[in-house]
Amino acid sequence: MDIVYAQPLKELLQISSYFKEQLIVLVKDEAGEKIAKKRELIPCFIVNEKTDLNKLKKKRKAVLGGSVKANEFATKIKADFLLQPSNTKQFFDLGLAKKLSENGTIVVLMFEELLGKNSFDRHLYWKNYLEIVRYCKKKKTKFVVASGCKEPLNLKPGKVRQSIAQTLGLTNEEAKKALEELK
Amino acid sequence: MKIEKKKKKTIPLSQREKKRYILIEILNATIPEKDFYFGFWIELLGFFGSKGLAEINPRLVLYKDNKAIVKCKKDAEIDLIAGLAFIKKIRNKKIILNPVITSGTIKTVKEKAGFK
Repeated sequence: MDIVYAQPLKELLQISSYFKEQLIVLVKDEAGEKIAKKRELIPCFIVNEKTDLNKLKKKRKAVLGGSVKANEFATKIKADFLLQPSNTKQFFDLGLAKKLSENGTIVVLMFEELLGKNSFDRHLYWKNYLEIVRYCKKKKTKFVVASGCKEPLNLKPGKVRQSIAQTLGLTNEEAKKALEELK
Repeated sequence: MKIEKKKKKTIPLSQREKKRYILIEILNATIPEKDFYFGFWIELLGFFGSKGLAEINPRLVLYKDNKAIVKCKKDAEIDLIAGLAFIKKIRNKKIILNPVITSGTIKTVKEKAGFK
């Protein structure tokens, strides 16, 4: 399973079917949800504090982290995914990891964002994510690496994403299990 | 003074470094061998640094039909596969590198690749 942003679906489906992987597509509205369902993809709504959550009660929700407010919002609404909880600055701690673990929220590293940075920022991202994985392991929070791309050719195979999670500090079994449970 | 040349002793098999072979498939573009090796090496060097790359010690063993067999040290194959994620383009051609199989023997990898 992989998580991507909404994008041209024809090429995306060709590549994902070659890798035999199902995709979770991040959508902003019901129109996007309909298009994703039509192509047998799993839709997930990106929400923030201004979103009307009453319409999305039984639907998957993802929060784009990267600030203390956004990360706390994800724990408040018990989101399914917390995307990019950290960037060049660290907004993740043991308390947050514990709350996310209790809610069953999955922490996601959107790999494409890391790739788009210069080497110094990449070093900071990498350093922060090493810490995040350490906290997630201590509090048994699920952590996953996703392609997080807006273009089909930036999709990464499952083995590569699993290896990145292992390089960050997860064991082979933890990384594999986390990817398999991404449903 | 006569200098005697001594032949290097071959290291016994049991004391040689253990290695792993990885079959990598290049998708979306056809790339010549030299360009692949250069692009592959440069991106891994950028991510791992000189010391890290020396510890992995990747070597291109065989390249044919847009498939590459790369040799590396045992227990370093995870890092090498993770490094493949950083390679998006070679010579301005967008590619996806897909690791197909990892094995301790080149025979298995060649069979999977369909090389004779």
